[in-house]
This record gives sequence, structure tokens and C-alpha cells, in this order.
Amino acid sequence: MSESLTLLREKHIRYIESLDTKTHNFEYWLTEHLRLNGIYWGLTALCVLDSPETFAKDEVIAFVLSCWDDKYGAFAPFPRHDAHLLTTLSAVQILATYDALDILGEARKARLVSFIRGNQLEDGSFQGDRFGEVDTRFVYTALSALSILGELTPEVVDPAVEFVLKCYNFDGGFGLCPNAESHAAQAFTCLGALAISNKLDVLSHEQLEEIGWWLCERQLPEGGLNGRPSKLPDVCYSWWVLSSLAIIGKLDWINYEKLTEFILKCQDEKKGGISDRPENEVDVFHTVFGVAGLSLMGYDNLVSIDPIYCMPSTVTTKFKKYPYK
Amino acid sequence: MHGIKRKDWTKELLRQKRVQDEKKIYEYKSLTGDVLSLRDEYIYSTEALKKTSLLLEKNPEFNAIWNYRRDIITNLASELETSFWDKELIFVMVQLKSYPKVYWIWNHRLWVLEHYPGDSPKVWQTELAVVNKLLEQDARNYHGWHYRRIVVGNIERITNKSLDKQELEYTTTKINNNISNYSAWHQRVQIISRMFLKGEIKEQKEYIQAEISYIINAIFTDAEDQSVWFYIKWFIKNDIVCKTLDKEEYLQMIENLRENVLLINNDEIEFSGKQNIWCLKILLVIEDILEENKALKEKNSKEYLHQLINADPLRKNRYLHLLEHLK
Repeated sequence: MSESLTLLREKHIRYIESLDTKTHNFEYWLTEHLRLNGIYWGLTALCVLDSPETFAKDEVIAFVLSCWDDKYGAFAPFPRHDAHLLTTLSAVQILATYDALDILGEARKARLVSFIRGNQLEDGSFQGDRFGEVDTRFVYTALSALSILGELTPEVVDPAVEFVLKCYNFDGGFGLCPNAESHAAQAFTCLGALAISNKLDVLSHEQLEEIGWWLCERQLPEGGLNGRPSKLPDVCYSWWVLSSLAIIGKLDWINYEKLTEFILKCQDEKKGGISDRPENEVDVFHTVFGVAGLSLMGYDNLVSIDPIYCMPSTVTTKFKKYPYK
Repeated sequence: MHGIKRKDWTKELLRQKRVQDEKKIYEYKSLTGDVLSLRDEYIYSTEALKKTSLLLEKNPEFNAIWNYRRDIITNLASELETSFWDKELIFVMVQLKSYPKVYWIWNHRLWVLEHYPGDSPKVWQTELAVVNKLLEQDARNYHGWHYRRIVVGNIERITNKSLDKQELEYTTTKINNNISNYSAWHQRVQIISRMFLKGEIKEQKEYIQAEISYIINAIFTDAEDQSVWFYIKWFIKNDIVCKTLDKEEYLQMIENLRENVLLINNDEIEFSGKQNIWCLKILLVIEDILEENKALKEKNSKEYLHQLINADPLRKNRYLHLLEHLK
């Protein structure tokens, strides 16, 4: 690795800090639908960079609560938008990171749990909201949120696990639903869902070997990882692929040095932040998955991240482990 | 953001952008406020529908507005002519052309098709033509292939006729256009598995022999790309092949494949002085199969793994792991 490549920690912190001051940019308003996810990505990146206090905790918590959609009883990405499983998980993750889940109160928490459970379909899958889109992303989102809230039950977990197994493919990957093509992000959601449910043992030894093989073939000669065969590398797969490998205990099946170099090359040296590929525009999504990937590889004393929850390990050790005693 | 080049903003450019954005933000926020107020007042009118069109044209990723739009349409459904639904499909297509990877737009299109009046195959057949076009422009679009399976499933459901044969041919065309089209190889696995299961293939043994010739031809065309190799790995180990062929035929097929893979690897060594890493990886699988069937004459796996450690160093630790567990 070239000597000059180092993690521009301070610049990334300043970049993330600056994001909420961009209200004069039209793009800021066009991306309201990602705001709560964006705060989760930013906060998690800051935690990995050991600078969680960069965000004003009270303000963030107040914003999260302002995203509560009282009609459906869950969290929207932005005040007055609609509740969805994706943003509900982000809200729960932010509150848990701040050790502030109690602020939900019993009544709101009960509605939240019933919203999540209410989106499970007969085959064990989950829809993102009442309009019926099914995706293994939502299985992960639902199980992760319920797990953080300590509200998993066999009635929810068992059919969900069965559904995840139906998404396992011939090549060792997982698709977004049964019969869909393998995709590295779906490997994370499926393996993450199984790990949260403490059901990784439903996969045979041979399957784990196949999964590890498919995942490590995502690394390209330039060091970066892709999400599917014959696609370009992208920093976000530093998370989806690495976390999956970590979950099945095969993290070292890719080359750390080359991947580290690729991630560091995607940094914007002027304004901070990390992009999908070198020389491209940075964003908070690629910034968090870049630093989270580096953390999994043990880079430079970064704060440890949990590959299953994509949250600081110090936070996730406090979660109740399923099955509950 | 994916695939957008970094831009150096000079002070002057930033100033210009700020001036332009100020106006855009004002208009966008006031329209957003209007539409959300209508929604909060449960207004389901054609005027409200038009307002959602304006807003979605500005921001097709605004999922709460797509939700409101569906609620409006549901409430107006009894008054809407078929032509409305056709126009709605055109409206969605315009957004999809600019944003082919936005989930919310795909969801809305599917919702429109599912609610299209009269459960006729025609609208889905037209949709299949739309998907064809989309996959011509981007042959690996993940949403596109997923969407294709849904569209085909609906046509099959309504007509009660299997499209497997036609869809299999589609994957052949796609692979022949570009052998690295992994989405097409994936789809081929799904369809062939299903066709065997449903008894849609009559001359099964001949079919398998033809398929293995097709694959061998493919690796001679391009032995570098992993797509076809993943397909081979599936093909030689799956139940359909193992159960259709008797043991002797099966082992003969594996032996034939082994010889061809060795040939390709030798060509590569002669040509570039290097081993073909995918040949080595599949030779490992082949040796495992032969060993399980007690038909392995000479085991070279250890040697292959040592060669892979040098030739494919990114995955060195996997090969070390396999060496450690070598039988």
C-alpha cells in the first residue's frame, strides 16, 4: 500500500457534521425520504471514528421523535412522510445507540412492535409497508428492530427463517426473494437475519463453504468488492460482503490490504467523505460503509462495529440474545 | 450516490447554484406543503392527483407521495376509464426512464398493473415487451430481471400456460449476446430446474448432453469470466443431472468436462505462461465429485491449491483453509 494513503479521520468527521447545514442545496430537500437513514449512517460513522458527540444528541433524538407517523404507528424518514420498515429500523438504531429507547414509552413501543409484526406475510416474509413490496431487506429490518427492542418471538422468527432459506441460491448467494439473483447486499440481510435469530445452524457446513466462496469472489484485482459477478467495485460492498463473511467466520477470505487501499482511494481529500469509487462524489452512505468495513478489518484502532447489527459493538452487547431465557 | 464524478465547485459556481436553488427550493417546498395538506384532509380528487404528478416529476423518489397517489386512485377507481390506467403507465414509464433503479417507481408500476381493470393477459404481454426493451438497454438491471419474473408469472397465471420454453430461449439469446451476463445464467438455472421438475423436457438425457456441450463451448469462448463457471459448478452437482444420467454416463460426462478444462488451462499456459484460475477452481470440484464416486485415479487437488495460492492471491486464505481440510 502506498505510504501516503491514510484515513482522513478528522476530515470525515467534519464532512458528516456539515451535512445538516446544506439546507440551501436543492438536493437536501430532494432527499428528505432518506433523512432518518442518513442520520443513522452519519451517527454510526461518527461512532466508528470515535466521535459520537459531534452530533447534538438531544437534537437528534427530538428529530427522530418528530418522524413518528401516528397514523400507522411507526417511523417515517421525515416529519409528515409515511412510516416504513426501513426508516423504523433507523429510528430504533439511533435511539439504541444513544441508549435512549426508553423515550419511546410503553404505548408507542407497543404500537411500533405491532406495526413491524403486522407487516409479516403468511410465507414468513415481510412487506415494507401496506403496499406489499416484499424483499429480504425487510425481513432483516423487521428482525433487527424487534431484536433491538427485545421483542422477538418464535411466531415471527420461525417463518421468517424459513423464508430466508428459500432465498438461498445455487451459487452460494441469496436473492431479494425466492428465485431472484444473488446479490451481496442480500447475503448480508439474509445472514444477518439468521444470526439475529440465532439460527445460523440451519445452514449446512457445505452451504457455509459455498457462501464463503461466492462472497470472496466479489473481490476484484483493484481490491474493491462488487455486489454481483461482472459488476464494478463499490465501497458499500466493503460492508455487505465483509459483514457477511464475518458472520460466517470467514472474514479473512478476502485480501485486507488491497481492500483497505481501495477504500482509502475513495476518500475526498479536500472535503472529506468517501465515494463508491475513486474520483466520484462522496455521500454519507458510502462514508459509513467504508469506515465500517475498515473497522471490521481492524484498521488503525477504529471503534469496533458489530457485523450483524452494523452498530457499535459496545451498544449491541447490551441487546437481549434470542431465544430469550 | 453511485457513479457520479466529483466536481470542483469554484466560488462563482457555488454562488450561481445557490441562486438557482433558492427558487427551486421555494417552489418545491410550497408544492410539497400543498400536497401533504390535501392528503391530511383526505382529499381524493383528480385535481389532487394532478398535483401529485407535478411533485413526483420534480422528485420521483418521494414515496409518501406515491402512497397518496395510490390512495387517490383507489378512491376514484369506479369513475376511472381504462384510458386512465394506460396514461398512468405512461406517466410511470417517463419516471423510470430517468430513474431506472428507484424501487418506489417500480413498485408503483406493479401496483398499477395489478389494479388494471379486467384481468387480461394483454396488459402484461405489453409489459413483457417493455421489460425486453429495458434489458436491451441494461442487460444486468437487477430490478429488470426481478420484474421480468413477476410479469411472466402473471401471464402464466392468467393464460394458464407455461412460458418456460420461451423464457429459456430468452436466456440463451442473452448469453449468446454476452457470455458474462450472469443474470441470464441465473435465470437459466431457475428455468431448467423448473422444467425438469414439471416434466416439460421429454428427451432428458439428450437435453443434458446438449447443455454440457453448450457450456463447454462457452468456456472455450471466454474462460476468464466467472459467470459460466458458477453455472458449471451448479450443473455438474445438481440432482437433475445426477438422477437423470446413470452413474456411468454421469462419470463419463464429468471426465469429458475434466479433459476440456485441462485443455483450456494448458492453452492458457502456452499462451500466457499462467494458469487459468477458474480452470483450477473447477478442477477441484471435479476431483471431489470423482472421489465421492470412487472414480478418481490420480488426485491433484493439493497441487491445484498451491498453484491457486500463487495465481489468485486475493483469495489465498480460502485455499489455505481448503488445504487444511483436504481429505
